[in-house]
Amino acid sequence: MRLNKITEAIPFLAPVQILILSVIVIPSLYVIWLSLNASSFGQSATFVGLDNYIQVLSDPAFLRALGNTVMIVIFAVHLELALGLGMALLFASGLPGRRVLLVAVLAPYAVSEVIAVAMWRFLFDPDVGPVTAMLSWLGLPMLDWSFEPSHALIMIGLLTIWLHLPFTFIILYAARLAIPKDLYEAARIDGATPFDAFKKVTMPLLGPAIVVALLFRYIFAFRIFSEVWLMTQGGPARSTEVVAVYLYQEAFSYNAFGTAAATAWIMVLASLLLATGYVFLLRKQVAGNAH
Amino acid sequence: MRTKKLAIGIGKAIAVVAILVWSLFPIGFIVMSSLKPGQDIFAVPPKFVFSPTLQHYVQLWNGWGVFFGGLLNSTIITAGATIIAITASTAAGYVYSRYSSRMLNASVMFLIIVRLIPPIVVTLPLFPIINAIGLNDTHIVLMVLYATFFVSLGTVLMRTFIDQIPRELDEAAQIDGAGRMTILRRVIVPLAAPGILAVAVFVVVFAWNEFLFAFIFTGTNAKTAPLVISEMIGSIDGVDWGVLFAASTVQLIPVLLFVIFMNRYLVAGLTAGATKG
Amino acid sequence: MSDKLLNLTRRSFLGTAMGGAAALAAGQSFAAGKTLNVLSHKVHQTVLGTGDGDLLKDWKSANDADVSWTTFDSNPLQDRLFREASLSSTDFNVGYMVDNRPTKQIAAMFEPLDAYLQKDGIEDFEDIAPGLVQGMTVDGKLIGIPVRHATQGLFYNEALLEEQGISAPPTTLEELAEQAQKLTFTSKAGTPVAGMVLASDLAVFPVMFARAFGGDFINAKFELLPNPEAMEKGLSVLRKMFETGALPRSYATTKNDDQVTWLQQGRAAFTVLPFARFAQLNNKEQSKFPGKIKAIEFPISADLKGKMPMSSIVEAWGMVIPANSKDKDLSWKFIKEVSSKSATLGMAKNGNGPVRVSTYADPAMSSNPVAAVEAAVLKNARGAFPPFPEAARAQSIFLEEVQLAVLGRKEVKEAVASIATRVKPLLQA
Repeated sequence: MRLNKITEAIPFLAPVQILILSVIVIPSLYVIWLSLNASSFGQSATFVGLDNYIQVLSDPAFLRALGNTVMIVIFAVHLELALGLGMALLFASGLPGRRVLLVAVLAPYAVSEVIAVAMWRFLFDPDVGPVTAMLSWLGLPMLDWSFEPSHALIMIGLLTIWLHLPFTFIILYAARLAIPKDLYEAARIDGATPFDAFKKVTMPLLGPAIVVALLFRYIFAFRIFSEVWLMTQGGPARSTEVVAVYLYQEAFSYNAFGTAAATAWIMVLASLLLATGYVFLLRKQVAGNAH
Repeated sequence: MRTKKLAIGIGKAIAVVAILVWSLFPIGFIVMSSLKPGQDIFAVPPKFVFSPTLQHYVQLWNGWGVFFGGLLNSTIITAGATIIAITASTAAGYVYSRYSSRMLNASVMFLIIVRLIPPIVVTLPLFPIINAIGLNDTHIVLMVLYATFFVSLGTVLMRTFIDQIPRELDEAAQIDGAGRMTILRRVIVPLAAPGILAVAVFVVVFAWNEFLFAFIFTGTNAKTAPLVISEMIGSIDGVDWGVLFAASTVQLIPVLLFVIFMNRYLVAGLTAGATKG
Repeated sequence: MSDKLLNLTRRSFLGTAMGGAAALAAGQSFAAGKTLNVLSHKVHQTVLGTGDGDLLKDWKSANDADVSWTTFDSNPLQDRLFREASLSSTDFNVGYMVDNRPTKQIAAMFEPLDAYLQKDGIEDFEDIAPGLVQGMTVDGKLIGIPVRHATQGLFYNEALLEEQGISAPPTTLEELAEQAQKLTFTSKAGTPVAGMVLASDLAVFPVMFARAFGGDFINAKFELLPNPEAMEKGLSVLRKMFETGALPRSYATTKNDDQVTWLQQGRAAFTVLPFARFAQLNNKEQSKFPGKIKAIEFPISADLKGKMPMSSIVEAWGMVIPANSKDKDLSWKFIKEVSSKSATLGMAKNGNGPVRVSTYADPAMSSNPVAAVEAAVLKNARGAFPPFPEAARAQSIFLEEVQLAVLGRKEVKEAVASIATRVKPLLQA
């Protein structure tokens, strides 16, 4: 179908575009200006050119934070996708008490991060946490997250999956529910095994939803904040800091609005760079849909 | 054949148990903690048997009246934000799904790229602006902010969901003389219900728990529940964990109710989807 | 006329409405002509009491004014206060500020109070601890009136000390380390006990250890590491404690609130917290050891004992008036009332750390078991470090190096040297 005139689409698109422009785009342009200045509370802005960018990029703490963020994005998001997909298919295959189960699965998403982290900290306490006790009872190594930076990152990854798995799950589940049953019937009549049906029916039809879920989870994961801030505060000794924590510190702890703004733009560019792969996939989707 | 079925059944049962433990164990711990006498909450080793008490709920009611005001504010703001976000995203998702042009494709990309900007940075310029137009500490400002940060996801998701609705249905309606608005309302919305609800879940949960915007743009009038909870964790006079867990439990209930409510329509949407092929 | 219209802002309208509701709850008819908007932490509102115990009851009726409180947690509160003060005008009349925040630039956003003090003085102003007043004086201008302080003390669990056969709490830092070592054990209750629990995200603790050896991080004269050897000694003690388990393995992620729960649960024998936490630590409903948790002054090292007083850390809050606010005379009247002797005593009874020396002498304070110790410690107490624009960043660097040293990832000497080189440029900025 073609639009006769682009103007016909405007009433439908206007609300979204107006919101985005006025709340995000225009303020962000101001933030670009801010990033070229040094400013703080009670101190008017002075133009410093690209100094803020240079300062941030040459700070080893920032580079480490960027590295940690990328690690979390890559591992947590993909693991989460695999789990979410598995769960969506499990639910769609028919489970007794599915309604109740759905509530249970979505529940972590509703817990505020502050509380979730307080609980996790206690459950995983290296000395007395019940989960730690269980792990050692099972003969598994304990998660020494308050001492070993790598363990701390694993812990943060687990927590972020716990908090956001419902997000990935519900996108995939809703998309899976939308696949007409007849397609599976037809596949079965054609003698397809369940695995064939998965490959030939489920995956292609879930493709767009998977891309969307991945893309947005990726965007959210790139600015992961609360899990780190509340769990380790970026410690021990700033070894688990992520970009959003760095940005928060600049803006709210140090009130250095120039470097905060510069960090924000570096963050946007870095995530854009990394997202190009996903965006490319998405473009293919867009093109694929343009019948 | 029978053993295979049994094996699948056992496999599923194990998966379900694993999912339940994974999802509910920490939450169960929160709810349980809210019912424990104060000194047992962080007892070592953890106590699973205890005499439950409602004292923390009583303390919450008596000492933190502002929390309940916060819940009311959160409800109003969440409802408003959800309605704005869903309406805007469904309309845009419909156009993006059904029509295509270079401009439209570019504007979808734009929606996604814009989302890469961290919300925290727009707070710096927005605070003086919102104060200047006198909207600080009102419900409307948070509704608009929350909706804005979810219309990108909402639009892209709605497009994906609407893509799955056969075009023949809108074409048939068009032949019957229905305009675009009518097609959207009568054909698309009912069939896209599961998608709309999925988007609603995201907005509801986000708006219900959001802290940063609430802290910057509200004071007393529109103060939300998460803000009050953060005060309970306040660093000056110490945390009363029991009351905090009680508040968290109370805060959890409306969202769970919403999910239960949504559940019915998700299943209704499923049957609607089945008839469309 | 238009001014008048503008004055009826949304906030003041709402404040009146809410004040009305509060008045209804308190059972009096109320129609205040004015509303004073205060931006504070909830604790500042709580200590002023409510209903019949409202310490401002008379003031409100005398001034035909009501007080509308907007409360946040401490850090968000400071952020919001500065944000409001940097607007062209704000509806908030009075704000509460921590004494390590007023830098030159910040102070410039608030009303200098010297003129108000001269014109309409505060009752017996000299009675307010001079050190705290000093903390609210920037460039010779008084910008805030002290209202609350939190002074750090050493808390210990008497029951655990007895269990390990220790009859008296430590009098020197060396003894403290030694006792903490002995108290790293599994108690009769089966709980693993760590000798001491300290948060790793606050400069307070390493600074106290350095001061026990006569050193400091940044002193009031802005000298960085005035005695680096003392800092090295302090950090070495902490490092040794961590190595031997007297500081728990979770040290690097321990927070202030964990210290409270650990002590209440008997998971740690010693900690350092404000004296004001005494009540919470001994709270029957929360603590496994009500009445058993005691507080003393943080001990100085053996070499300096008797030669100089231990300078513990104090953090104070002051009331400030944003320069861009309205009706500053009413704001001043409020500050004056809250600073009065009777209000200071009333707040102290509600758990506030009183800023007046005379308050500690009041017989009403004798029921507070730590008042005497606290008053003595307060005499020599100072802030953790003085305010300067890059103070927060300096603190982060300091804590990063301290953690590296305590966790054994860096030699203590190296870490201290690194603090010196990394913080120095921030002080000059």
